[in-house]
Amino acid sequence: MVEPVVPDQLLPGKKDAGLEASRSLAALEELERKVQEFLRDDKSAKLDTKRLASLKSLLELVGSAEQNFKLKAEFERERQENAILQEVSRRLSSAAEIRDVLRAILESLRQVVEFDAAGIFVFNKEMQQIEVDMLAGYGGAQRRRVYTKFQEGVKHGEGIVATVVFSGKPLYVPDVKSDLRYVEVRPTTRSELAVPIFVRDELIGAFNLESDKVDAFSERDLRTLMTFASHAGVALERARADRERQHTQRIAEELALARRIHTSFLPKVMPQFAPYDLGGMNFPSSEVGGDYYDFVRITDDDLGIIMSDVAGHGVAAALLMANFRACIRIESRAHYAIKTILERVNEFLVETNPPDSFVTGFYGVLNRKFNVLTYANAGHNPPVVLRKGEVPHLLEVGGPILGVLPDAKYEEAQIELMPNDIFLLYTDGVTEARDEHDQEFGLDRLIELAERHRNLSANELARRISHEVQSFNAPDSTMDDLTLSVVKYDATDPH
Amino acid sequence: MKLKTTETNGIYLVEMSGKIMGGPESAQFHDAMKHAVANNLKKVVIDLGGVEWMNSSGIGLLVSAYTTLKNAGSEMKLARTTDKIQSLLVITKLNSVFDSHDSVENAAKSFN
Repeated sequence: MVEPVVPDQLLPGKKDAGLEASRSLAALEELERKVQEFLRDDKSAKLDTKRLASLKSLLELVGSAEQNFKLKAEFERERQENAILQEVSRRLSSAAEIRDVLRAILESLRQVVEFDAAGIFVFNKEMQQIEVDMLAGYGGAQRRRVYTKFQEGVKHGEGIVATVVFSGKPLYVPDVKSDLRYVEVRPTTRSELAVPIFVRDELIGAFNLESDKVDAFSERDLRTLMTFASHAGVALERARADRERQHTQRIAEELALARRIHTSFLPKVMPQFAPYDLGGMNFPSSEVGGDYYDFVRITDDDLGIIMSDVAGHGVAAALLMANFRACIRIESRAHYAIKTILERVNEFLVETNPPDSFVTGFYGVLNRKFNVLTYANAGHNPPVVLRKGEVPHLLEVGGPILGVLPDAKYEEAQIELMPNDIFLLYTDGVTEARDEHDQEFGLDRLIELAERHRNLSANELARRISHEVQSFNAPDSTMDDLTLSVVKYDATDPH
Repeated sequence: MKLKTTETNGIYLVEMSGKIMGGPESAQFHDAMKHAVANNLKKVVIDLGGVEWMNSSGIGLLVSAYTTLKNAGSEMKLARTTDKIQSLLVITKLNSVFDSHDSVENAAKSFN
């Protein structure tokens, strides 16, 4: 008998075209040997050697014809496969939707490998779940089963696909009924072939084929599946890069929008409020922050002064800031007491705010007839009044931060302003700027700086301080929003 | 930011250390609070002794923890607030809202 070729451990019982050819050749040789034996042993052979020779050459012809046929079939299959792979590559380069590409890969594969069901699985290691999948040949209920079985399989290390995802090696199960790792999804499945999908060196999933026949797949099928799996890997990688690019783009667009919103809320020109000189400056951080300052004309003699900081950055902070701004601008014109205004703003923000965001805010009303500032500070860095020859006055009276405590109460206080007083408001981006030694800029430095440049106009002073803070900040440290405003009681103003 | 949680004698101790600046790291802290609520842990102590730096996002974390726990009928105490945190609590006037203690033991004792 012809010795069977030792089966590959992975692929017992190959039905490869090459193997078939070598089998027929071996059979031919065996036949020839037997004939020669016959001729040698039986001298009285009646067989016509001539006829035998021609029979032999005929047999050889048949054999080579058979072999040619097989080679041709193999060549044909290779040609077809190449054409299909080219088509797949073409689709890959045409930035198609990932699911379309995966579907195309499955359809193309069907033209070269016979199977009854197939699946492309992408495994998200962090999430321990399927990210993208493409299935063929599974019924509706079976589809859900594929999901749950794969999920469970991944958790418990069961199932052919999960085994491949864990080992990173191809696996062929010629008879699923005799393999303990197999988990049934399709009752008719008899054999299964699964290969890993790699993106560069990272294992990202598996590609599996199922057949209703026992031992349906050959080594050739395995090679083909691996080629298709590598194409699926390329497609998935491209899809991932696309997703990331889109995500980055979307974030950039959102930030640009938030930045526009933010900028549009800040005062463009300072109101005229003689004898007071008003100035302000805002440098948003690279992320969009939520600093907001404003001067609101309430009556001819009353000016609302707002300085605030929304905790957090980005679109959420910009929205919260928009909320706060709308609210305080409305309330400020309603002639309530300042503490009441803050209570109402707080109430509104508590209702609308996510729990871990809040606003620190200062609100004051400056009356230029009596030169009195009435204010309440809701958890904001205390603004300072700098008066020659006196220690700085910190305006701390008020209550807690806005937007978190439902029944927060606020107090208000008054301070009379004197000619040449500098009233300085700022956010923590100023005082918490840090140098390369991790030292904070701090309030003392800010006060000292403002005193030193007290002769500058309000706007120039604000610009000067911003400049100093920016150069103080260590180049590699992240910069918070930097906002300050200045109100100068200009004694020289003839008002 | 680093976080370590332990449960002893009915006290859920959350030890925070490093720089607390909000961002993606906050998820861990939120998870700890969710754990406290889900397991009906009524006495929560946040130990801030190892915190090197905290900004307003860190305050946001404490505030949200305070609200979450309060709504669930639990109580939160702060222990070993550093000077920096203390000054933030003074500015934000949360020092009148949060109950701070100089040690974890004192914080634990202060529950009714």
